[in-house]
Amino acid sequence: MVSSAREEILGSIRRHLPASETFVASDEDHSLVQGESRDVGVKKDSESLIKLFAESLEAVDGHCVIVNSEEEVIAAVRRILNDLRATRLCPKRLAISDSDEIRYLVDSISPDLDEVAMTPSAAELFGFDVGLSSVQGAIAETGTLVLEADREQNRLISLVPPVHIAVLDAAKISCTLGETLEVLYRDGRVSPAITFISGPSRTADIELTLAIGVHGPQELYVVVKRA
Amino acid sequence: MNHLSSETFDDNAKSALVDMQLRGALRNATSLFGKRRLAAAESLQNWEELRSKARSIKDDVLLHLDQYLEQFVATAESRGAKFHWARDAAEANQIICKLIADRGGKKVVKSKSMTTEETHLNVALEAAGMEVVETDLGEYIIQLADETPSHIIVPAIHKTKRQISELFTAELGIPPTDDVDKLTATARATLRDRFAQADVGISGVNFGIAETGTILIVENEGNIRLTTSLPRTHIAVMGIEKVLPRFSDVDVFLKLLPRSGTGQRLTTYQSFITGVKQHDAAEGPDELHVVMLDNGRSRMLAHPITRQSLACIRCGACLNACPVYQQIGGHAYGSVYPGPIGAVITPQLVGLKKTAQLPYASSLCGACREVCPVKIDIPQLLLHLRGEITEAAVNVRRSEHLAFRLWAMAMSRTWVYRLSAKAGGILQGLLVRNGKIGKLNKLGWLAPPLLAWTSGRDLRPIESKSFRERWQSELKQRD
Repeated sequence: MVSSAREEILGSIRRHLPASETFVASDEDHSLVQGESRDVGVKKDSESLIKLFAESLEAVDGHCVIVNSEEEVIAAVRRILNDLRATRLCPKRLAISDSDEIRYLVDSISPDLDEVAMTPSAAELFGFDVGLSSVQGAIAETGTLVLEADREQNRLISLVPPVHIAVLDAAKISCTLGETLEVLYRDGRVSPAITFISGPSRTADIELTLAIGVHGPQELYVVVKRA
Repeated sequence: MNHLSSETFDDNAKSALVDMQLRGALRNATSLFGKRRLAAAESLQNWEELRSKARSIKDDVLLHLDQYLEQFVATAESRGAKFHWARDAAEANQIICKLIADRGGKKVVKSKSMTTEETHLNVALEAAGMEVVETDLGEYIIQLADETPSHIIVPAIHKTKRQISELFTAELGIPPTDDVDKLTATARATLRDRFAQADVGISGVNFGIAETGTILIVENEGNIRLTTSLPRTHIAVMGIEKVLPRFSDVDVFLKLLPRSGTGQRLTTYQSFITGVKQHDAAEGPDELHVVMLDNGRSRMLAHPITRQSLACIRCGACLNACPVYQQIGGHAYGSVYPGPIGAVITPQLVGLKKTAQLPYASSLCGACREVCPVKIDIPQLLLHLRGEITEAAVNVRRSEHLAFRLWAMAMSRTWVYRLSAKAGGILQGLLVRNGKIGKLNKLGWLAPPLLAWTSGRDLRPIESKSFRERWQSELKQRD
């Protein structure tokens, strides 16, 4: 019965589409429209990409910290946690995802925390205050982080705790959405789960009043490490 | 549930027009989104080019829909997705209920999806004994209030924060508050428990990419990410028209959709889901089921004018731009899809018989066509549907038919036209008061169009001398 529904629907499409000809992919114009923002000029060098990313991220209410080394990443994360201690978010439990790129952070983060855990289970994660992950890419013109879940278990750590701190390698920043899509499509396939994140979770569903942190994080920090 | 019907559109609209709170909320929302959309479009150098490109991609998809669908299904299946085909809403709901029951599931979290609104999935799930909760904040409010969405993007736009506070006090037991952050935090806390316990997550689909077998869903809140990440089973419901050929096509549509909908460059989150996870240790559901819904869509392919309704990407820009929607809001349309796009899609989905008033819910000003990111000619569609209504003589008054026949006769014969203008000039003496023709409601025998016209404004009397006569006599005076 299920397969007959399939045949009936496809049959109905073909019946209603007398104009449909055999489709030859190579006949089509596949050229991409370059729809870049006005403020994206020809600046493609690393420093201007970092600068553009930081501006775009802050425009969507994320925070950006730019550093030069692993030591500075550690210091930056400590400072962020310290600053949060003065707020009502007051972090006590930190979850870190299993990426090789940020493993050095596990032992070096502030001892003031009650718990630092590597990739807790989904159920446990609901009790954590901060999620710390690396990311697989970024889009400068929109301030977007790109997560590929098959390369790191960062799907829930970046979503469930009220604070997400992401560590981004500056070399992974692309300028435009189109360039990022090209990077993600490798050997004719894409990862099982790709997530784009531009700023903290938001809604305006009640009287159009902006509220930050509805289902996802309320605070998003990105520590950009220069190459 | 307070469901209005499309059959009573005229009355619904009249009731909406006297609801000053609703009109204030609509004014705020539609003008804000209108301004944001314009600013976002202007931030791109080639907005018009993008619109044309998007439309040509959609036209290609629709003209080869069977082939792209087969490609999409084959690629997604090779990545582990399971497909189910539903000829209509009832079949879709039946498939979904069975999928959940077969897995011994009961608790369902749902993210915002117009397609499942179209099939009235929640009613079917509840009838099957499932516990279903909407997790988008606006949809959650609507569900608690037992109402229907009034806007595609902002479902609870018709409700004030005071009403929402009263609702949360009654349903969730919180003290009354007019602090939007507190209301939002309450919803977050309540829904977290539901997410943690859910057996199944149900989502919609914005785009299905044939080349990679990917489904793409966009949002701002994060509830779609939770719905599609936490439960073991993810069911995605997708209209058959939502296919895109290539992964790179996402570029064009992600530039157009958020800018047209909320004026954002990108929404906060995009989830690209391709099949299921590749090893047990990975995050995410074990199963992905995609329900492909026809429900009248394949029929729309038959005509080039109706076919373009399938290009719609559900951004809501035409609602915000429409002078009719701006005044009456979404509920008056009595249909799942409101506004200009609703007025053309609904009659095609459910038939003209019960929706014959909708294609007339427009002044044909063309604002919807101006803002549509995929250049759907909605006024043309409205006229096409009006034509079908007239030809089928659905709900057309006999007197109106007669009036137009007489009109056509007079306009195509010069002497009849002149004679009737003369006769009208003399006979109108019975109606003219203080130099104008006012309310004609005492004259029940008169053709209804004139009655309706004069109920809100005055009609100018026919001049005693026609332009032709004045032209002739003034030419003579010059000589």
